[in-house]
Amino acid sequence: MKKKAIGTLAAAAAAVLALSACGGGGGSAESAKGEINYWLWDANQLPAYQQCADDFHKANPDISVKITQRGWDDYWSTLTNGFVGGTAPDVFTDHLGRYGELAKNKQLLAIDDAVKKDSIDVAGYNEGLADLWVGQDGKRYGLPKDWDTIGLFYNKAMAASAGITEDQMKNLTWNPQDGGTYEKVIAHLTVDKNGKRGDEPGFDKNNVDVYGLGLNGGGDSSGQTEWSYLTNTTGWSHTDKNPWGTHYNFDDPKFQASMEWFAGLADKGYMPKLETTVGASMADTFAAGKSAINAHGSWMIGQYTGYKGIDLGIAPTPVGPEGKRASMFNGLADSIWAGTKKKDASIKWVEYLASADCQDVVAAKAVVFPALKTSSDKAAEAFKAKGVDVTAFTEHVKNKTTFLYPITDNTAKVKGILKPAMDAVVSGKAPASSLTQANDQVNALFK
Amino acid sequence: MTTTTSRVPLAKPASRRRRPFNPRRAGAWALLVLAIAVSVLPFLWVLRTALSTNSALASQSASLLPADFTFGAFLRVFGLQSPAEAVAEGGSGAAIDFWLYLRNSVIFSSVTTAGAVFFSAMAAYAFARLRWKGRNAVFSLFLGTMLVPPIFTALPNFLLIKNLDLLNTMLGMVLPYLFMTPFAIFFLRQFFLNMSREVEEAAMLDGAKHLRIFFQIVLPNAAAPIATLALLTFIGQWNEYFWPLLVGSQDDVRVLQVGLGVFKSQSPQGAPDWSGLMAATLVSALPVLILFAAFGKKIVNSIGFSGIK
Repeated sequence: MKKKAIGTLAAAAAAVLALSACGGGGGSAESAKGEINYWLWDANQLPAYQQCADDFHKANPDISVKITQRGWDDYWSTLTNGFVGGTAPDVFTDHLGRYGELAKNKQLLAIDDAVKKDSIDVAGYNEGLADLWVGQDGKRYGLPKDWDTIGLFYNKAMAASAGITEDQMKNLTWNPQDGGTYEKVIAHLTVDKNGKRGDEPGFDKNNVDVYGLGLNGGGDSSGQTEWSYLTNTTGWSHTDKNPWGTHYNFDDPKFQASMEWFAGLADKGYMPKLETTVGASMADTFAAGKSAINAHGSWMIGQYTGYKGIDLGIAPTPVGPEGKRASMFNGLADSIWAGTKKKDASIKWVEYLASADCQDVVAAKAVVFPALKTSSDKAAEAFKAKGVDVTAFTEHVKNKTTFLYPITDNTAKVKGILKPAMDAVVSGKAPASSLTQANDQVNALFK
Repeated sequence: MTTTTSRVPLAKPASRRRRPFNPRRAGAWALLVLAIAVSVLPFLWVLRTALSTNSALASQSASLLPADFTFGAFLRVFGLQSPAEAVAEGGSGAAIDFWLYLRNSVIFSSVTTAGAVFFSAMAAYAFARLRWKGRNAVFSLFLGTMLVPPIFTALPNFLLIKNLDLLNTMLGMVLPYLFMTPFAIFFLRQFFLNMSREVEEAAMLDGAKHLRIFFQIVLPNAAAPIATLALLTFIGQWNEYFWPLLVGSQDDVRVLQVGLGVFKSQSPQGAPDWSGLMAATLVSALPVLILFAAFGKKIVNSIGFSGIK
């Protein structure tokens, strides 16, 4: 009992310390020079950002930037530890699914004043990206660095041998009742151990050699690469409004019908069972010739094009019942830790990261699409020069068929409730109607 | 296989003639070979993956030989490969500061091992040879703490280290392990209990106090179990991940095991740099393998010897 009291005391002391640290970092000269720490998780982008850091140092000899790359798996836990322990990086790559909570816990520095003072034109970013980083309190917590959409990576050789043309792949349609041409193509690309296709009589769904569609996971609350590119073509959306919605819509019959269809794919043998995806990489499975189509994000382009011996095609996501395609539009930003001792230098660095100078460098490396419109055109060209046609991703932005990543409060709890619920549906253990109950639990969090 | 069995050195030279086929013996050998294969194959698979390029791994997943043979992954581990070359091989472009992390790992593991073994030996001596009130109760309490999962103590320990301002210092990393582990105390106590009381009493008659008995009689006589414990502790510490991850997040104290995480995942849903990870794992396992090769036999022998009381 006594030990517990001491533990509580220590926790409280830590919280006080962490909070008091937030107050520091005024506009003194000290905070505008020296070394700042910057964290990111994607090592593929490290060379580009190292180049930005070198250029930045040249332009601002007083400030140097030390970049640390940390794998996604440990990124957020180490970051949270850093906040508590006072060792967090001054600036770090931030994710839409996380920043709401970080801002609420007062770990992020609002940069409105700096954005106004340095007259940064937020209209220069692709539509909607900059708005995502304005928190519930109306303050801006980051400047956008890149964006991503969803497309269909497919195995051209498999499609060709199934007699499916490139044109067909690019003009797929989908609906939750019979799956449209999308399901037909998926079924036709599925091959069992005896060489029978998914739409042929005698197809053995328990011994499948090549799945028509790869599976990444259940998709928890966002379904970013799993199902949202389908569910959101029906007029359905995750929340009542975005960002900062307070009501989730997983009880909508339209959504549940879509999920019923999606889970049915695995039951028909066209998609791997959920349990087989645990610990496996969907991209690697594709490269091993175990799936013909993978719906995945544009940040995976490098991975998919890097595989040897795979003739890769990229098609846009299918057109849905409302006559349009849909893709989640997600973006990263750079945020500043509220406890930084180098506030002014950090702001300068964030503004540089969000400027055309740095984003053009990122664009030239052709790994992701930078947030600035001008830079993202340059990235598309850089991809083209590498022989990769990325129109499947850029068209979503051009035709305004994107919807924003659902940003709400309580994201960690929402995911905690929906992950098992969604997994149960996708693995066929529960009907889609079971999501109504999970949805009620989720919405109770906002009351 | 039967011919090999007849050449077992223990067999007398006179019995070099072929033995009749013995199905039980053959069965035992087959089982042994199977056991070796089962335990060695994973290592071969690690080696094979380390010598492959990532981009070819997935499409040649069934071959036992390296897919698209290269030493690139090892170069990547030692930081000898440029990010561009790494990316071309399907790596992530991430490298680890190998020699720095190795140094940190060596310091972390050896300091904690030395401390834990020494202090545990002292405690074990107190539990085994000294008579004091409540000795057994305290010992049961100690043993009881073995039941507490380490994750329970991680947070309080972290806050303590943080409040001592020792985050990202080697001292903060080693402190929770430095003084003792219940297992070590239990392990050594068992040996100390079996030591003959006559020797100790003779030493006392000669005027030796506990300190002297401990250093000059008990410790030298327990060299074998202490060496065993030290090796076990060292291996455990070498592979420790969670605490160093929590406390030593900065480069100058980051240990190898934490550094390896760089190859494991870079972006959500991205495939790990398997060959980089496997190469780094192999390299990081080397020191422990060397320790085993150097001391393994000695330890086994000495335990066998100490069995004669």
